[in-house]
Amino acid sequence: MGSLNGWTWVRAAICVLLTIFMVAPLAIIVVISFSSAPFLRFPPPGFSLQWYRSFFGNPVWLKTLSISVQVMIPAALGATTLGTMSAVGIARGRLPGASLIAGLLMAPFVVPVIITAAAIFGMFRAWNLYGTLLGLMIAHTVLTLPFVMATTLAAMRMVKPELEDAALTLGATHWSAFWRVTFPLILPAVLTGLLFSLVISFDELIVSLFISSPSVRPITVQMWSDIRGSVDPTIAAIATVLFSFSLFVMLIDHLYRRSSAKRALTSESS
Amino acid sequence: MTYQSLAQGAGPRPWPRLWWDGFLRTARQLDRRAWLVVPPLALLLVVFVYPVGWLLLRSVSDPIWGLQHYERMIERPVYLHVLWNTVVISFTVTSVCLAFGYPVAYTMAHASPQVRRLLVFVVLIPFWTSLLVRTFAWMVLLQKTGVINDVLIGIGLLDQPAALIYNRIGVVVGMVQVQLPIMILPLYTILIRIDSRYTQAAATLGAGPIRNFLRVYLPLSMPGVATGAMLVFIISLGYYITPALLGGGGDVMIAQLIQMQIEEFGNWGFASALSVVLLFGTAVTIGLIYRIAFPKELRFIER
Amino acid sequence: MDKKSVKAPPGALMSSVDPEFSRRAFLIASSAVAVGGIGTMLTPLGNRALAAKKFEGRKVVFASWGGSYQDAEKVAYCDPFAEKTGATVLQDGPMNAAKFRTMVEAGAPVWDVVDVTDTFLYSAAKDNLLEEIDTSVVNVKRVSPEFVHKYGIGDIVWSYNLGYSTKIFNEQNHPRSWADLYDVKKFPGRRTLNQDVVPNLEIALLADGVPMDKLYPLDVERAFKKMSTLKEHVIFWQTNSQSQQLFIDGEVACGTILNGRAYDAVKKGGMLAIEWNQNIQSIDYLVVPKGAKNKELAMGLIDEMTVAENQAKVANLIAYSPTNKDAYASVDKQITPWLATSPQNAGKGFLVNKLYWQDHREKLNERFQEWKLA
Repeated sequence: MGSLNGWTWVRAAICVLLTIFMVAPLAIIVVISFSSAPFLRFPPPGFSLQWYRSFFGNPVWLKTLSISVQVMIPAALGATTLGTMSAVGIARGRLPGASLIAGLLMAPFVVPVIITAAAIFGMFRAWNLYGTLLGLMIAHTVLTLPFVMATTLAAMRMVKPELEDAALTLGATHWSAFWRVTFPLILPAVLTGLLFSLVISFDELIVSLFISSPSVRPITVQMWSDIRGSVDPTIAAIATVLFSFSLFVMLIDHLYRRSSAKRALTSESS
Repeated sequence: MTYQSLAQGAGPRPWPRLWWDGFLRTARQLDRRAWLVVPPLALLLVVFVYPVGWLLLRSVSDPIWGLQHYERMIERPVYLHVLWNTVVISFTVTSVCLAFGYPVAYTMAHASPQVRRLLVFVVLIPFWTSLLVRTFAWMVLLQKTGVINDVLIGIGLLDQPAALIYNRIGVVVGMVQVQLPIMILPLYTILIRIDSRYTQAAATLGAGPIRNFLRVYLPLSMPGVATGAMLVFIISLGYYITPALLGGGGDVMIAQLIQMQIEEFGNWGFASALSVVLLFGTAVTIGLIYRIAFPKELRFIER
Repeated sequence: MDKKSVKAPPGALMSSVDPEFSRRAFLIASSAVAVGGIGTMLTPLGNRALAAKKFEGRKVVFASWGGSYQDAEKVAYCDPFAEKTGATVLQDGPMNAAKFRTMVEAGAPVWDVVDVTDTFLYSAAKDNLLEEIDTSVVNVKRVSPEFVHKYGIGDIVWSYNLGYSTKIFNEQNHPRSWADLYDVKKFPGRRTLNQDVVPNLEIALLADGVPMDKLYPLDVERAFKKMSTLKEHVIFWQTNSQSQQLFIDGEVACGTILNGRAYDAVKKGGMLAIEWNQNIQSIDYLVVPKGAKNKELAMGLIDEMTVAENQAKVANLIAYSPTNKDAYASVDKQITPWLATSPQNAGKGFLVNKLYWQDHREKLNERFQEWKLA
């Protein structure tokens, strides 16, 4: 398409505006979290770590943080395992209803979260899983599974089946053919899936709102109940902690993909 | 007669054999790796499909069988009002996202690799960040004493701080920031695959830039536009956090209603009826967009 | 061997060289210590030391209204109780009438002690949602009799006041009555009201000109009609903390706020003030939901809340009036203008009629929630 010079400037302006729009709110929160004033004012008058001290010194916040961590690790591991399994099964299993099964596994992604939350809440109450760590783990696994499956499936489809067949003809078993040929090729996708599951679980609010109780409560739920009456920047500090975690995980994923792309045998979407 | 010869069609054909036939063929066809889907599927059926099904059933079974909840929804104008609100807000958010997202996706698709990587990173940041954190950021920014009002007053556009929060503006702004990546990314993946030879050919045939864009490029990008718009719309329909924190009384969306009915009134039947309506709306949207925006002639553009 | 029968040689110096003697000395000393120790454990002092940690390792869940009020309650009631009994007091909330109801009706309440409004107490007692107060544990004599109910013990007296922003309005010109709240022309700006039906109907009727003593039974239709005239200007606060935040952020010109929360906001530098004219008073009660898991601890915690010095602590932190008369002795003098029960303020308001709400609360709240959405 020929370059429309006038439009190019407009587009550039929009992109700059967009960058500000996306990033600025978060940046401002980070800055406020280091404020020395007890109000949510920007720009802050001075620098202080008092809100972080207030956060880390408060047993309630620490407890909810630990609950979040205790839930996200098993949930992410579970979702990654199950998600990869389903991707392999769908990609190589020659199932007749493959798209139906894939659709079903993607369902938690498509069904509005509030419905999933209400449904799981109703069931968990009946099964005595309300307010339990196990209940949260199971719910988060189900919620993050679709994403792992989607990324891993896309990666599986890029791996030529002939590679596995070649390994088999050379004497490998199905199992070792998978681990030594296929898996290294889909590893970036699996890792992205794992990392994203960690972040989704850590940031999850709606389902957790319904199924947590005062003693078993993730940090997002605690934030939710405090957020409307937040008179001081402690909440900004907590938000910064959550945001930093997301950013950190995202960077790991980004860096890993870059390095694995350099070592890739087949073309990988990176 | 062996099973095999039966499967291949030998011998007389009584009616039951048709399904038996297919099953055999399928069973032989299955790779053993197919069984890997069983555990994830089982988990989903038990923890997701069954509870959601049970919930939706309650719309007609709780407390007694009948359509009383649906009747209530229609009789009391309040609920239709909220449903209408939800659709209007979702539509507004989708339009704004499209208006801003298209130029950005276009730039991403046509820029140098460095700019593209930077933009992808920027667009992905909100994707990886907690919804609550982002909404909270807007609570701080949109206040009367917040940054945006300070800036607007500082540059002289306003004398008094404007009410940017606890109303429609706050909700739309908050939702747009969250949904933009969802609009941009699918659009970007389609735009990047549009062969530039089409527009080049149109230019050599005498089409001016505007005509070129409207008659060649835009139609080719429709699958991306449709996917992005559809995703943003259906996700907006089910939104809860942002309208609850940034909206006013007139911006209540259906998800908030559902939550209120369950947690406040314990009225599972009615909450379920509302859920059915929400799910139905989502499904209809997906179906419509798929039909309209993916006409068969454009399908070959997708790789 | 009977060491005691051996006679010690005269002169203590001998002990350092005589092993027999030092062994005896050691035995006597250690038995003395042992006897002393056993004796200590058996004395009343020892009794108290043992019994004090009687709830060691057990939990009790206290639910209240969140924010600065709950913080004050934690410091004044929960911490002393935890210290005395060794129990862990978990904080939860915010209290929400419908949530409470749902919890009890499901048969498994998560909360053990809940701080509720009087209108809710009466309505919940009528619907059989509460446990009776165990008077053998809770010392009800400490509290003035008008605050003692079969199913709850009153812990504070507070009021809904007309709050206004001192940034927008000054001493001469500010809203002075609920009618002024409804007058958007004379006092422009957004308003905030609480999201529950009480006392919005009363406020609407007072604004429409109904005198304070002729309010009940409420003319519901008239109230809803009046409220609809203000609706578009209102932000409904979900929690008390949010009401404070709205004033501090300058989002509203005036609205309803609790007297204690207003005091707390001003302490934190917020620019607002309250009007005592037509204040609507209420009493908070401590109740135990029916079927609560830790009933024994719940009663113990409630008893802790009747102690005069604990109540005085709450009053000093957040300007809510105590129900134990003896507490007034320890309340700071500068708090008095902020208290609902002080002589200069008490006469200007009235108490919400809980008997009326006992019968109508549920139905009217549902109608009010629907009205809000319309």
